[in-house]
Amino acid sequence: MALPPEAEKPNAPGVHPRPLWSLRPASDRQAGDAIVSNFIFHWFPAKALKDSLAWRYSLWLGTVSAALLLLLTLSGLPLLFLYVPSVERAYGSVKDIEFVITFGYWIRSVHRFAAHFMVAAVFLHLVRVYLSGAYKNGTGRGQHREWNWLLGIVMLLLTLFLSFTGYLLPWDQLAYWAVTVGTNIASAVPLVGPQIRELLLGGRNIEQATLIRFYVLHVIVLPGGLGVLFAYHMWRIRKDGGLAKADQAATLAAKVEVPPGQSKTYTLLGLARGTGPTIRASSVEAIDTTVNSIPDLTRRIAIVVLGTIAAMSILAVFVHSPLEEAANALVTPNPAKAPWYFLWLQEIVTDTTIKLGSFTVNGAFLGGVILPGLLVGLLAAWPWLDRSPLAAAGRWFPQSRRRQNAVFLLLVLAVLLLTFVGTFCRGPYWQLYWPWQPWVELPTRI
Amino acid sequence: MSQDPEKPDPPKDRREFFVTLGIGAGLAALGAQGLASLRSLVPNVSYDAPTTVKLGHPQEFPDGMKFLPDQRLYVFREGKVLHAISAVCTHLGCTVRAEALSQVETRTVEGSPLRLTHRFLCPCHGSKYSGDGENVAGPAPKPLAWYHLSIAVDDGQLVVDLARPVERNFRLTLA
Repeated sequence: MALPPEAEKPNAPGVHPRPLWSLRPASDRQAGDAIVSNFIFHWFPAKALKDSLAWRYSLWLGTVSAALLLLLTLSGLPLLFLYVPSVERAYGSVKDIEFVITFGYWIRSVHRFAAHFMVAAVFLHLVRVYLSGAYKNGTGRGQHREWNWLLGIVMLLLTLFLSFTGYLLPWDQLAYWAVTVGTNIASAVPLVGPQIRELLLGGRNIEQATLIRFYVLHVIVLPGGLGVLFAYHMWRIRKDGGLAKADQAATLAAKVEVPPGQSKTYTLLGLARGTGPTIRASSVEAIDTTVNSIPDLTRRIAIVVLGTIAAMSILAVFVHSPLEEAANALVTPNPAKAPWYFLWLQEIVTDTTIKLGSFTVNGAFLGGVILPGLLVGLLAAWPWLDRSPLAAAGRWFPQSRRRQNAVFLLLVLAVLLLTFVGTFCRGPYWQLYWPWQPWVELPTRI
Repeated sequence: MSQDPEKPDPPKDRREFFVTLGIGAGLAALGAQGLASLRSLVPNVSYDAPTTVKLGHPQEFPDGMKFLPDQRLYVFREGKVLHAISAVCTHLGCTVRAEALSQVETRTVEGSPLRLTHRFLCPCHGSKYSGDGENVAGPAPKPLAWYHLSIAVDDGQLVVDLARPVERNFRLTLA
């Protein structure tokens, strides 16, 4: 898509004579024009730091999460036409998707795998941001990376709640007993607990009102909220001057003198407020540290997004999604296990009922409400408690953050360990078994 | 907006007043609409199953234990004496399963002798209850509920009141 020579010189700054843009720009000017004149690309800065683009810095986990969100939206669309949110027909319609509809099993499997991987990717993204101190403000003015950290935590919770509402929809045994346990955790909240449960269920029992509530949350409310927060998350990255990695480059002495550009109608890295047309030329803009976003940034985004979609699509061809027996209020499966990403919580509510004399604290409250609440609260407040130096922002495992990184990793390890125990070491009646140990034979009917 | 230096705190002019009024009214309307939308999600009518349920004639209950899945209830009978224990785990609401004991034991529970033929195990988080419903292990915070049993006056069926928990010395003795 090479542009004719006359397109190189617009008549005035910001005026683009032709609505064309190139993925293979021949000059910096064309590269910048492509960013400004394309709706999708205008999200991105015109130039990107090489260090920020490095695979090993961010591991591109945020992009993977976003790609999975996109894939979930796309694969959810056909399911929206096929699924019937009624207690009589929900299970049948999912069974039809799985066994009758052409490509139905594949679409459902793509949706399910994308959901599982999204939980993992968003969690790993959080771990990466913590370990590299990327929620810390660096040298730029007007930075508020702590807000983006908060947004990220809310988005992680939304992702988890989306998964929860999603696996309820088939209305099989997993769904029914997950709602039972999940909403009973909500009702363990003092004073307002039972009311919260009733509001979630739309009654006192798990019935049609419950299914339609979780359905609407799953297909409209939560994805809508997540979409808005995602856009805000991206915007904040630009406002905060790019990834935390960029702040390090800004502190370096300019190796190359960069003359101020003649017309800067857009700031190069979206460097925080207070800059603008008279942006200070530093090594951020040095030729050897930055590249044009088109094609260097766009190429990597394409690799990550297409790679993620390809991986999910191929995986879904080979691995089908499970569907348990239809929801049966009369029989609780034995053992009744939540999906893997909630098993650490299932472990915690199992182990946290505490007796203080004649007074008993239900594990549902301590392990289901208080401990997860504390964990989320601590994570949310951490940017304000963290006293490590500015120079630690955007660095993996810096000396100055050794202790807090170690504590954080211990917490992560504890969650992973509990997840492992819940997944592989729990058998009938939630008894402990070694992963290789056979479970006792139990009658399936009482 | 110009300020009169002689009046340090001038009264708001009309324009300012109406702007405030307009914004305030708009916010109040939005708030009320939001609350109305939320309130509509709180049910006014319960279509839940009734809590007083006829369970069938007493002769349908053999000596020993009978599980009623619809009511999530265990009904025990010993000769002419009946009692009912809830199958809803007090931890997070899964249905507990009954396991027959190899050795039947008689224990005095709240002043009344009780033959313990089973124990109850929860498949969700591993809570354990003894035959009288007492929580003995696992995360369950309190014993399984006992419910009130009676005989219907009209047709003589056994009736359970799931909204009426009773003490563990409750027994229904058939005439």
